[in-house]
Amino acid sequence: MLDIKPIFNAIRRSKIGALLLLLQIALTMAIVSNAAFMINDHVSYLREDTGFPEKEIFSLSVMTFGKDRTLSQQAELDETMIRNLPGVIDASLIQAVPLSGGGSSSSVRLKPSPEQSKSINVPYYYMDDHGLNTFGIKLIEGRNFRPEEVIVGNDFTGSGPNTIIVSHALAKALFPDGNALGETVYLKNRPLEIIGIVGTMKSPWPNGMRDKTTAIVPFMDVQSYQHILVRTDKTERANVMANIEQNMLDIYDKRVIINVDGLDKTKENYDATDVLMMRMLIVLVVILLLVTALGIFGLTQFNISKRTKQIGTRRALGARKSAIVRYFLVENTMVCIAGLLIGGIAAVVLGNVMMKSYSIASLEPEFIVGTAVFIFAMSILAVIFPAMRAANISPSIATRSI
Amino acid sequence: MFLHYIDLSWRSIKRTPVISFLMVFAIAIGIGLTMTSLSVYHMMSMDPIPHKSGAIFYPQLNIMDDGNEWHSSDNLPYQLTYQDAVNLYNADIPVPKSPSFRSGFSVHLNSPDVKPTMEPARLVNREFFTIFDRPFIYGAPWSLNSQDTHEYVVVISEKINNRLFAGKDSVGQHIYLDNNSYRIVGVTANWEHHVKYYDVNNGAFNSSEQLYIPFGIGALEEVTTWGNLNGWKHEALKNYQDLMQSEHVWLQFWVQLNTEEEKQQFANFLMTYMEDQREKGRFNREALEYKLRNVTEWLEYNSVVSEDNRILVGLSFMFLLVCVSNILGLLLAKFLKRAPEVGVRRALGASKRHIFAQHIVEVSVIGLAGGLLGIVIAQIGLWGIRVTNSYYDDLATMDVSMLLAAPLIALVASFLAGLYPAWLVCRTQPAIYLKSQ
Repeated sequence: MLDIKPIFNAIRRSKIGALLLLLQIALTMAIVSNAAFMINDHVSYLREDTGFPEKEIFSLSVMTFGKDRTLSQQAELDETMIRNLPGVIDASLIQAVPLSGGGSSSSVRLKPSPEQSKSINVPYYYMDDHGLNTFGIKLIEGRNFRPEEVIVGNDFTGSGPNTIIVSHALAKALFPDGNALGETVYLKNRPLEIIGIVGTMKSPWPNGMRDKTTAIVPFMDVQSYQHILVRTDKTERANVMANIEQNMLDIYDKRVIINVDGLDKTKENYDATDVLMMRMLIVLVVILLLVTALGIFGLTQFNISKRTKQIGTRRALGARKSAIVRYFLVENTMVCIAGLLIGGIAAVVLGNVMMKSYSIASLEPEFIVGTAVFIFAMSILAVIFPAMRAANISPSIATRSI
Repeated sequence: MFLHYIDLSWRSIKRTPVISFLMVFAIAIGIGLTMTSLSVYHMMSMDPIPHKSGAIFYPQLNIMDDGNEWHSSDNLPYQLTYQDAVNLYNADIPVPKSPSFRSGFSVHLNSPDVKPTMEPARLVNREFFTIFDRPFIYGAPWSLNSQDTHEYVVVISEKINNRLFAGKDSVGQHIYLDNNSYRIVGVTANWEHHVKYYDVNNGAFNSSEQLYIPFGIGALEEVTTWGNLNGWKHEALKNYQDLMQSEHVWLQFWVQLNTEEEKQQFANFLMTYMEDQREKGRFNREALEYKLRNVTEWLEYNSVVSEDNRILVGLSFMFLLVCVSNILGLLLAKFLKRAPEVGVRRALGASKRHIFAQHIVEVSVIGLAGGLLGIVIAQIGLWGIRVTNSYYDDLATMDVSMLLAAPLIALVASFLAGLYPAWLVCRTQPAIYLKSQ
């Protein structure tokens, strides 16, 4: 009924056109399924929750060059001043800005150093008891730091803090089957008691491997180059940001205020390369699909113009219009399926090559299937219009010579 | 004859404007996309200092005791400790060498008229300027004497000189970095480089530093690094003294070795140095290891060309292949339609070679047009990249070699696409068409 055999024979007689189509479909299939997989990967990363209310938070960096003030006292004055500004919810000194790409990390162990024990590399934040509120992150378990637990100084190992708040992911990683609250862990060989557990709290490197196992330590090692994190009402942020430099210089002017950036902007900068890659891949996929669709369209046109006379003859011998359309659809489907099969194999091979050479996860089969279905539908659409036109070829053409 | 073929091509293109435009467009899109990713790749992977990239070396030492691992591919730390950097610099080997690290200062003139700004700075020794052929507008690097006596001297960039001194020769003037006064000894010209190859640990495509001060000032003023600071064993760093004596790595080091002999000598020296240090209780390991990589090898080792970019270049060439096969199809349609005309010409005496040449010329004209349009598309693409990510400002551009490569690749691609259809059409038998006329 579908006349597969005669169609197949016809294809064999004009190999080159079919082969070209097959090649195009196979290549498109291989490229699009891999690209779609990578796009999906980027999109799902970019959509992940960071834990922070990014639009309420901004950071600034302070470089103090004056030597006539004690840095830690000045820091306290700054914090108090900022916390009292209208629109500000809370503020805290911090040694690394979240989502910025620059920060500190160290291993957290279950036992002090020479002893062997489980060890996890943890990006951490130094903040005071206002830290959690500034982050806008809620505790799941335990409590916040008490003001007297915040240690000001530079000797972390000797006279540093005794407490730590960890992310849920870190608690899980350190104590897979126990309650982490109240346990002691070692950071830079200093014992710290886990007093609180929070939900998602991303690191300064959200796209790196160390993404969700993070911690806050109540320690203030005030340096001449220092960051401050401020959380405001969403509507007030622009206003506070605009005046913060002057406010800071008003209380002490032998310093430079730089990098006043909203946390959403910071994340945008950090992710710029990913966004760029994603956009380029999307452009590539869209244009590739268009070009392939045009190619199928063009080749079908070509086939039809070559066979005008045969089509006319078939019509003259009583073939219905639908039979002509069906002929081209079946022909295309055969070539398309062959192309998709070869393309599917090529996609897997390409995916494997990329996985071996680059840090890319292995291609998931649903992307191959999805791409195949899409390309198939697209090829049917690209064939149907030329085929309908072919069906309108007058039977009288059979009696005419070209 | 060639001009005649071009004339014929032009007539043929005019006769079938839609299909010709489709072909030009297909090549243009393919070339546009390929050149966009290839240009960025080319800029990233370009040799930043071609005339001496093979003569500038970066030593790495395996400072870790046995049983410790570093997270690099060959288990060697990317940077040096303070003591090693100083020892290597002070060693009695007469080749240009310099330790280096990035930091930053607030720059002002200690007057209320000029608002302090924050500027990135590099701490180096005077040989650094020689090694990297750093160009000066005014003055020169500081003298050996200034360096040895820890004089507070500074080399500033053209940008700072323009801002603070309106572009005039500022050598001999003083500026404040934080709260110290420094004497300006030189002004460097803007340093154009696509890859910040001398310090990839701060981001290989970041802008260069605006201030250069002697390395020795670092210890006096306790200048901390703006780059990575890594340790392999637990050491408490309470102050700068601890840091200088620690096994933490945070310094880069460059040495210029012009000949293979010099390289061998320096390598031997590194080995002797490590053995010597082992005697003193450091480098507690079975096999001592070092590496001397030149600029090109160093960039390769640090994977400066991003993975994403390699993938994109590969994918866009595959895309170009799809375009080529598309054009092949269109050409087949176009040329075969013309078979009757070709039949007549053959009958009138045109040789197969003539027919073939004529069609190849026609395809090349289309390819060239596509290549030129492709450059325009690539420029739009590169503009899109620059807008999306300012990090690529210097990278997403086309240099002359890429501008020339675009039409060349287009020609090759269209030529390949045209070969089969042209061959097919030149085999046309005149008889068939003469009969049916």
